[in-house]
Amino acid sequence: MNNNEIIKVENITKSFRLSAKQRKVRKLTESRIIAVNGLSFSAFEGEIFGLLGPNGAGKTTTLRVLSTILKPDGGNAYIDGKSVIGEPFEVRRRIGFLTSEVKLEEFFTPDYLFDFFCNMHGVDDEKRISRKQELFERFGIDKFAFTKVADLSTGMKQKVSLVTAVAHDPKVVIFDEPTNGLDVITAKVVTDFLTQLRMQGKTVIISTHIFSLIEKVCDRVGIINDGKMVMCGELSELTKSESLEDLFFRLYNEKGGETQ
Amino acid sequence: MKNGAWVVFRKEMSHFIGDKRLLFTAVIMPGLLIYILYTVMGMAMSAMMTEEVKSFKAAAVNMPQYIEEMLAQSEFEVQHISSDETEKIKQGVADGDYSILAVFPDDFENALDEYVSKLGADEVPNVEIYYNSADINSSQAYMKLVSTLDVLEDSLSNVFDINNSGKEESYDLATSEDTAGSILGSILPILLMTLMYTSCASLAPESIAGEKERGTICALLITPVPRSQIILGKLMALSLMALLGGISSFVGIFLSVPTLMSSVDIEGGSIGNISADVYKISDYIKLMLLIITAVMLLITLISILSTIAKSVKEASTLVMPLMMTVMLASFMSINVTPKDVSAASLCIPIYGTVIGFTEIFTFSVQAGHLLIAAGTNIVLSGVGIFVLTKLFNNEKVMFNG
Repeated sequence: MNNNEIIKVENITKSFRLSAKQRKVRKLTESRIIAVNGLSFSAFEGEIFGLLGPNGAGKTTTLRVLSTILKPDGGNAYIDGKSVIGEPFEVRRRIGFLTSEVKLEEFFTPDYLFDFFCNMHGVDDEKRISRKQELFERFGIDKFAFTKVADLSTGMKQKVSLVTAVAHDPKVVIFDEPTNGLDVITAKVVTDFLTQLRMQGKTVIISTHIFSLIEKVCDRVGIINDGKMVMCGELSELTKSESLEDLFFRLYNEKGGETQ
Repeated sequence: MKNGAWVVFRKEMSHFIGDKRLLFTAVIMPGLLIYILYTVMGMAMSAMMTEEVKSFKAAAVNMPQYIEEMLAQSEFEVQHISSDETEKIKQGVADGDYSILAVFPDDFENALDEYVSKLGADEVPNVEIYYNSADINSSQAYMKLVSTLDVLEDSLSNVFDINNSGKEESYDLATSEDTAGSILGSILPILLMTLMYTSCASLAPESIAGEKERGTICALLITPVPRSQIILGKLMALSLMALLGGISSFVGIFLSVPTLMSSVDIEGGSIGNISADVYKISDYIKLMLLIITAVMLLITLISILSTIAKSVKEASTLVMPLMMTVMLASFMSINVTPKDVSAASLCIPIYGTVIGFTEIFTFSVQAGHLLIAAGTNIVLSGVGIFVLTKLFNNEKVMFNG
């Protein structure tokens, strides 16, 4: 890790319009709900940054803004100096976006999907072939390279999903809830993958509500609640006097959150 | 960098071509089904019309000898009965024991002579013929008897002939092309448009709404390829597949039409010699031009609805009004004479295309009309692609944001 700022989030806000039905279900009178409210933080080269927060805190929305899926209502965010608002195509060249839910076209083989995403990112043939060989060997996909995704095990599908997301060798990997709902073996594959990326000098940002995952893989952590950053810093500094879990609930209760 | 549209096109085509089930249902099955369906229909109708009947068992009251002799040539076997027996024979006709019952008035021949000599009388002699329309044998006996009596009636009061010069002359000045065009022009445009729509609707929802539903569209949209190129790639692949489906249906129609039409009688003769040969290469080129542009338009419209939908099921529901519109526009063109169509009405989407098809099939195509119909499709497809790009850039539509 060094001080080269790769991800910079500057006071972003994002709200969503609520339908009449949604307002009725949530018992709200406002027509919009604020998901992210003036959020700012930075992540540096070669680190894993964790966004920790309860459900509905705004973690996924923040990561979706960073991956140019959503446009912020206010503020801006930069990936390797490129604005997610002004230069979305440049941002997309630099990121790999993943979720724990495997979303692959099941008709195709891992080999085809890898080539397809390389072509979509404009990776030249030489680099594509060498990278495919390297990643497929590392994850043991090479034996199933020409098997349809539909016929692969859940763990292997997750590996294929990881590999295709980083086929173009992005500088930044954005991972929404990386181990959510995964069995222990697949979760281990994912956490190992994250630490490997850090070793390669990639910047990784993850969102999660699992304390152990943050403690295991993250260098820095940002705790968010109600779309606002409550605390942000180095994990080792924040957990000097109390555990991450204790810190989280103390902050959560101070902000008037409900605990059970 | 490879063109994004081309990369997406190749991926979509790999899916369509590689998925044998999809390929069969979208491309091969439409033509095959039409061919089998129409051929079987044609054969069944033909068999019904040409069914050989050895004899008709007729019962008659007061039937003159010379009429019986005329009917004998048509394999009628006449049983003379008294007027008291008519009710019993009527039941026999209803039960299928008799083909027909003919009741002539008393002294029919004198009544005819009197009527003819006076050139009209107060009371016209009336022949009553009882038959069973649900029984093919009885129906055929009825038609033959009526036809025989018509000939007799004509010979009794023959004032002038029509087309009976005795010379080897054809009075129908229509060429075989005209006849074929008239028949095909009345059925093919609607069939073609409906089949094209079916091909398009079977593919587009899966390609766009399906990807949204499965969540795979997200990975596609966060690549550095502009969304307009992603749309273009998808539309090109969908259009090509729909076109193949349309061509398959078209071939199926042309191969089965001769069998289907052989059962239809026109002026006493069948038109079973209709085939695709009546159209020239230039006609097919015009047809392809119109088909390609119409497929583009249909695919674009269905893609817009599929993009708005959250799932394939919802997309299938949303395209229903479009299907009704296609059907309505097609049926509205049935009684339209191409030469009377205004240029403005050709600008009406779908309707203009169906009129264009009718003009081509009836050999009355006007270059201006064809260009207006095809141009309208191209312009509207362009507008549709613009709308699609806007929708693809709308986070609420694409990600429920």
